[in-house]
Amino acid sequence: MTARTTAPPELTVTDVTVRFAGLTALDAVSFTVAPGSVHALIGPNGAGKSTCFNVLSGLCRPATGTVRLGDADLTRLAPHRIAALGVARTFQNIVTTQGTVADNLMLGRHVLSRAGFAAGALRLPHARREQRAHLDRAREIAGLTGLAAHFDSPVALLSYGDRKRVEFARALCLEPSVLLLDEPVAGMNAAERARTVEVVHAVRAELGLSVVLVEHDMGLVMRLADEVTVLDFGRAIAHGTPDEVRRDPEVLRAYLGTGAEGEEDAA
Amino acid sequence: MSERLSRALTSRPARTVAAVTVLGALPFYLDAFWLRIGLFSMAAAIGAVGLGLLSGTAGQLSLGHAFFLAVGAYGYVWLAGEPGPGLPTAVAAVLAVLLAGAAGGLFSPVAGRVRGIYLGVATLALVFLGHHVLLTADSVTGGFNGRSVPPLELGGFSFSTDSELTLLGVPFGAEERLWYLGLALFALTWFTARGLLRGRPGRALVALRDSETAAAVMGVNVARHRSAAFVVSSMYAGLAGVMLALSFRRVVPDYFGLVLSVDYLAMIVIGGLGSVAGATAGAVFVTALPLLMTRYADQLPLVAAPGTTGGTVGPTEAARYLYGAAIVLVLLFAPDGLHGLVRRLRTRLRRHRSAPPPTPTTSRTATTSPTPSPAPAAPAKEPTP
Amino acid sequence: MTTFLDNVFNGLALGAVYALVALGFVIIFKASGVMNFAHGSLLLLGGYLTAVLHDDLGFAAALAVAVLVTAAVAGAVDRFLLQAGGPDPHTAHVQTIVTIGVDILILTDLSRRIGGDLLSLGDPWGDSVSGLGPVTVADSRIAAIVVSTLVIAGVFALFRYTSWGLSLRASAEDVEAASLMGVRLVRVRTLAWCLAGALAALAAVFLAAFPAPGLERTTGQIALKAFPAAILGGMASPPGALAGSLLIGMTEALVAGYQSDLHVLGEGFGDVAPYAVMVLVLLVRPTGLFGGKAAVRV
Repeated sequence: MTARTTAPPELTVTDVTVRFAGLTALDAVSFTVAPGSVHALIGPNGAGKSTCFNVLSGLCRPATGTVRLGDADLTRLAPHRIAALGVARTFQNIVTTQGTVADNLMLGRHVLSRAGFAAGALRLPHARREQRAHLDRAREIAGLTGLAAHFDSPVALLSYGDRKRVEFARALCLEPSVLLLDEPVAGMNAAERARTVEVVHAVRAELGLSVVLVEHDMGLVMRLADEVTVLDFGRAIAHGTPDEVRRDPEVLRAYLGTGAEGEEDAA
Repeated sequence: MSERLSRALTSRPARTVAAVTVLGALPFYLDAFWLRIGLFSMAAAIGAVGLGLLSGTAGQLSLGHAFFLAVGAYGYVWLAGEPGPGLPTAVAAVLAVLLAGAAGGLFSPVAGRVRGIYLGVATLALVFLGHHVLLTADSVTGGFNGRSVPPLELGGFSFSTDSELTLLGVPFGAEERLWYLGLALFALTWFTARGLLRGRPGRALVALRDSETAAAVMGVNVARHRSAAFVVSSMYAGLAGVMLALSFRRVVPDYFGLVLSVDYLAMIVIGGLGSVAGATAGAVFVTALPLLMTRYADQLPLVAAPGTTGGTVGPTEAARYLYGAAIVLVLLFAPDGLHGLVRRLRTRLRRHRSAPPPTPTTSRTATTSPTPSPAPAAPAKEPTP
Repeated sequence: MTTFLDNVFNGLALGAVYALVALGFVIIFKASGVMNFAHGSLLLLGGYLTAVLHDDLGFAAALAVAVLVTAAVAGAVDRFLLQAGGPDPHTAHVQTIVTIGVDILILTDLSRRIGGDLLSLGDPWGDSVSGLGPVTVADSRIAAIVVSTLVIAGVFALFRYTSWGLSLRASAEDVEAASLMGVRLVRVRTLAWCLAGALAALAAVFLAAFPAPGLERTTGQIALKAFPAAILGGMASPPGALAGSLLIGMTEALVAGYQSDLHVLGEGFGDVAPYAVMVLVLLVRPTGLFGGKAAVRV
């Protein structure tokens, strides 16, 4: 019921290629997310960042290449199996389900709990015990992400920023070893952005997980990321620390030259 | 003080006790006509709750519910009857429910992989194929004329008029006895369905309905949960089928047609998708309406007495017009059905009585409170810390 | 051999009629994402109007009126009920259930009017037959094949060569992009419904013509067999719907034709054979024979 104590396994993406109807969305992309680090994926719109996330979370199968988490091969696994191995994600456009914040966070506890249809229908004692325990942990995570006050409110009544946080907290509820954040601050105002950065720092310190981040806000990427991979037209054109990437001439040409445009699209 | 008293009287256990007392006392006051309406309503409610789980909660449209009702009804008749293994009736009833579940399980390769409204067309097949089997498998189903239903016996007590029984001066016939069976089965349905909805499986199904992608990414095995929802829904339908068979005392194939499936869909839509109470309310509405209209046809304007022909509107048709229109109107103007109407009324009342709920922190929200919030009439009472 | 050819021809004719219904079903789905469960009762409406009008107007005029009125009713259902809240593609499943309510309303009313009667549509073919090589076939079936082929070709031409067809295909691909490009979604959608209604009314003529006994209140339910045809074709593909219809028609005719050899399946299995085919296909391919990603898109 508590956070994992061991270091998360390494996430390795090797030569992943994805094609849609003749269009190459990802072209032999490779990168490695070091245990416990924050790894940012950046690039102009259409560079393949979201496709890459879809490959990592099993929503999209690559034509070639592999994705490994420690010893486990994720490449051909169904999304729910990948989730069970400890990879959680959020979406660019908010995808919450009906009900309260608690309901949404408890969905995150799905893979960690076991009560099935029969146990639920008959309200067996072990199912109720399990539900209570997980509810406690969900409440803790709500506290960690600044949602404690809204725990029992319907998600539909929350502000945009809070709903984004619900998605974030729901992903954390999986007790993931790898957390995939797809534009976690898109559409947020400055105060909400600052708060989200704090929360990411806090959960990283407290839960010791790896984070893969897709974000257009360069300031935020530079502050949060330990390492950056730059995608352009489906190819990884640069790797390195934020400082290294910032100085890479190819990146400047492909991406930062149009950086202003990218930021506008994100807002 | 009086506030606290009224709170206590309207608390959940109090309401449950009141409902059970009233429902339990009814056979002493109502005649067979009303009891029969009650029996059919309870049976329908059991089936509707099952369909609600599948179509309302999991978002999987099914027009095959009549098939599973038929499996339950005919399964019971065959298992308990002659020709058939002639099992003890209680055993036959339990096995009939399991049989309906197994039938749902056999369909699960389709039910698990075909999504949403597509499943609606796929399940049409069950109704038509099922009806064909009921007509042609004479030795099991009795063919076109159907079969009579052996009355249920529990520990020597028969749910029929075979033995005389008088309680408090009221003769207890089949309707009175079945009433309590229906209540017990409905209570079981209510208890289990709410347990399911509020637990881990219910949340997974809601997630599946709202976003298959999000559900899968959060670790929900999509195909398995869809199949499971289908099987569970079939089992409730089977139970409803057993109850219907016992109430009708005869099962015939033509009853279990597409119209019946549509009736069940009407129940959950009118009641409000995704809630047990809503499905129950819808079931009572759809079941009782034609029976009541038939009974009171001579007192209703525009409705002809049953049996009259020649372009007039008979009570059954009048009822169908009404609930056809109800489906359209409910979906266009109150998509959460009767249940939603009641809930909104209740929220309104509560807001008048106590503090307003926490308001959204910023005004940039796309969705706001679903009800126009009325200004609290009385000063808000904050609970003292 | 003659029996076989007989059955194949019957299957072809049946498939051609189902194709009219299934094509309408698919056009509606493409345009609005709605599965129109009221399609059977629209068909019944068309047949009923032809039946009651042909004595006064003659068959051709009666059919023309029936086609126009059914098209108008279908369009009105879409415009004033389904699109009441705007052409929002996210509520397609709710609108699908609304069509079930509409179906109850239309069907109840028509059943009440038709009662237990068998209505003649007054079609010019009557019960005449022609020799076609070694087999003798009903003229109405030849007419069904010829008319369906022409009409379907016309519909495909509409798809390909008119701005409406282009708009329909564009909005089926991407609603938002289409509306940005200035496609008037509301009108494109409603016209699709009108066309589907017209096709259904036309199909009613052939479903009620010889050798069928006439139009009865359950004729609409016969039209439901076009649903499996559409599903087999992958729902969003008009050519798929045609192939599905032929498959369904052929299956039904062959099963009915070889009834005596298939008596294990029970009498009248031909009527439900389309559904059996659908279940079998869905077991193997949940997206239909020609289904792309539409049926499984997340």
